[in-house]
Amino acid sequence: MNKIIKSYVPFMKAGIQSLIIYRMNFLGFVIGGLIYCFVMFYLWKGVFDSNGEGMFLGFSMTDMVIYLFLSNTTGQLTFSSVSNQIGEEIRDGSISMRLLKPVNTDLSYMFAELGEVLMKLVVLVLPIILGLEIYRFCITGTVMFNVVNLLLYLLSAVLAYIISFRVNLCFGFIAFYVKNLWGIGILKNSIIGFLSGSLIPLAFMPDGLRMCLEYMPFASMGYTPVMIYMGKYGTNEILFRLGLQVVWAILLYGLSKLIWFGAIKKLCVQGG
Amino acid sequence: MIYAEHLRKEFKKTIKDPGLKGSFKALFNPKKEIVVAAQDISFHVPEGEILGFIGPNGAGKSTVIKMLTGILTPTRGECRINGKIPQNDRKNYVKEIGAVFGQRTQLWWDLPLQETYLVLKEIYEVDDAKFKKRMSFLNEVLELEKFIKSPVRTLSLGQRMRADIAASMLHSPKVLFLDEPTIGLDVVVKDNIRQAIMKINKEEKTTVVLTTHDISDIELLCDRIVMIDKGRNVYDGSLHELRENFGQTRELVFETDTSANLTEEQFRNGLKLTGNDLVIEREKNNFKVRFNSTKMPVSEMLSYTLSLTKVKDISVKDADIEEIIRNLYRQGETSDE
Amino acid sequence: MRRIWKIYKLLAAQNLKRLMEYRADFLTGAVSFLIDQAIGIAFIFIIFSQIPQLAGFTFEQILFIYGFSQIPKGMDHLLTDNLWCVGYFIVRKGDFDKYLIRPINPLFHVIAETFQVDAIGELVVGIGLLIYATPNAGLHITVWTVLLSIVAVPFAALIYTSLKIMTSALAFWMKSSGFIIQMVYGMNEFSKYPTTIYSFPVRIFVTYIIPFAFTGYYLSLYILTGNDPWFNIGGVILISSILFVISVLIWNKGISAYESAGA
Repeated sequence: MNKIIKSYVPFMKAGIQSLIIYRMNFLGFVIGGLIYCFVMFYLWKGVFDSNGEGMFLGFSMTDMVIYLFLSNTTGQLTFSSVSNQIGEEIRDGSISMRLLKPVNTDLSYMFAELGEVLMKLVVLVLPIILGLEIYRFCITGTVMFNVVNLLLYLLSAVLAYIISFRVNLCFGFIAFYVKNLWGIGILKNSIIGFLSGSLIPLAFMPDGLRMCLEYMPFASMGYTPVMIYMGKYGTNEILFRLGLQVVWAILLYGLSKLIWFGAIKKLCVQGG
Repeated sequence: MIYAEHLRKEFKKTIKDPGLKGSFKALFNPKKEIVVAAQDISFHVPEGEILGFIGPNGAGKSTVIKMLTGILTPTRGECRINGKIPQNDRKNYVKEIGAVFGQRTQLWWDLPLQETYLVLKEIYEVDDAKFKKRMSFLNEVLELEKFIKSPVRTLSLGQRMRADIAASMLHSPKVLFLDEPTIGLDVVVKDNIRQAIMKINKEEKTTVVLTTHDISDIELLCDRIVMIDKGRNVYDGSLHELRENFGQTRELVFETDTSANLTEEQFRNGLKLTGNDLVIEREKNNFKVRFNSTKMPVSEMLSYTLSLTKVKDISVKDADIEEIIRNLYRQGETSDE
Repeated sequence: MRRIWKIYKLLAAQNLKRLMEYRADFLTGAVSFLIDQAIGIAFIFIIFSQIPQLAGFTFEQILFIYGFSQIPKGMDHLLTDNLWCVGYFIVRKGDFDKYLIRPINPLFHVIAETFQVDAIGELVVGIGLLIYATPNAGLHITVWTVLLSIVAVPFAALIYTSLKIMTSALAFWMKSSGFIIQMVYGMNEFSKYPTTIYSFPVRIFVTYIIPFAFTGYYLSLYILTGNDPWFNIGGVILISSILFVISVLIWNKGISAYESAGA
């Protein structure tokens, strides 16, 4: 185990370093997300004002604010750019260089990204959670912070990242067939954004659709941890949701492996 | 035609200490360093000349070429080509020049080669009659017919280079800048491209500035060379002069008899030559001795060697141009220390 | 001018030829943007399933504003998409060299080189929403409102273009400015809804600093109410012109700071 970690730590460090080198990019990414949250914040405020009841389908405005910012930052935390990277590597052929290295290919991608994920956790997610708790305190006058929920959130977020990573891995292999990765990327992000509830809470959707979406892997990629943090689930439901995440992680692991082996064969046929 | 006066170009560069710690430092407190790519470079090229612009890697050749073509703005100094300052009047200036950067292409990657020429025809406002004449000339010189209908991405490196040179010549520029036009090509293609450059230069009196690492390019093409190193002029003159001034180096090659156990030390001891005046390479019984013939006449060197040991075979020859240039580069290195 | 038009046509034609070679890509691009749009609209549907009005606007009116805001966005997207590449990699990789050794304006050359058909997603949805919403949105239709609104659209698109020119030009100093373009461009989200839902500082920001409010809300407000043509339409024209001049100045300054790549 120790040895495994040792051989992947360099990938992780490199990931953090490249993130810092492109610090402006990172900042832009974060600020871009926050701007989006603010637009949505005002939009919902407008909605709540028009509604006049202070509640919207079981969400108070405070709930909504927490949902908005937390689901957006969780989305950024679990975001994986591995599909773009694989796509690029397939296109310029440098994927063969990666295959030559004596490490597990998926894991080398994952560790390179883990550095980024850790950075985001420290400089983005935790401060946002702190800010949200202060906000909630100012509005309601009571401290509603719950350590157990935070820990469960982190656990669920890790699972969410693993699922997101696998989904993106599968998407990356589309590069074997299509050249317009940019378009595919937009498509992927908006589909995930919609189906994972980061745009609109799944709770707001019509019942049939909501049930459907809650069982799909996309909800496991962001909606589940956020709902857990907000205390919207009871103990049994938390256990069930976490279990569902684990199941999806395993299924998608299998799927990505399957595609991967198929892809390697294709790579050989193409001659790399 | 081309005047470059005291050109200097500085770049700003963020430096970072190695490792994760260094990255964090750079995040919060980025350190900027000024890198001088060209210190002070001056030269001039008369009309119709082919100038070889040479120097070791990182000497600043590309930076100077990019200043001359108007891509980079000099930090200090000025260049004037055909009476124009590239940065001040770019649009009119670039009509009179053509440029090829060997490492990248200006052709439309996904489209048949022909399409690129049609677009360039409009961009450079070449009229139909002239375009036709021009294409047949370029066809003849660079032999484009075979692949003119193929998409650019399917061309071989040599074909692509020929296509790129043709693209830069389409509007009959007065000056042609070629940055490593023969890089990565095989001998036959190299020769082909050299012939083309020569022909263009002869028939159209095109002034050519060419950078290269291939000494044969210089020997076959260039009337004159300007050599730079570490952003400064090192040499400016004809190839002939270069040989005269620096070409006193001779090369003595001999093979000793197996019984003679001559060492480098022994050989060196009897001679009063030091530093660059005497360079010895030895592989088993084969000796290669480069020496300065003004300090020690060839005859003396020969008799010294013959008196010292039994030789199987011995010969003396002039050092080639590559050798001279290597020596010049080496001088730059030692004077730096 | 005629020469510029001729070159533009030629470059656009090259682009279409290239697209024909990669038909599948063209389809994925267009479909992607269509779906992206569909999700945005689904969002409005869900909101209005619960409330009758948002900030005093009806469902149709909000759809109208949303749809109108997509048209300038789509126009800019169609015509100037290559600016993204300048910010992301053309400058960083040194590929900008090519534009500087051609006898046409580099800004024009960069823009003319790409004709982004993906933008059809935005244009189709925008126009579709206008057609759908118009009968019930209670528009103030006169010759003037219609005419002026149409005239203002290219200027609204110019706001997008100018902001993209400015932010992509930062790459000349910073090597890569992709995420800054992304950040500023992302603020166009503000243009989709009435600015009255925002708090005062935000309203000032999206009206005068990053003036995306002019590309959607104010534009639609004029044809919705017929009020304030000087601000709603005049503002678009004035602000876009000022922004464009500033952006070209920054761009030109950037070119002389361009460092190319390699030695």
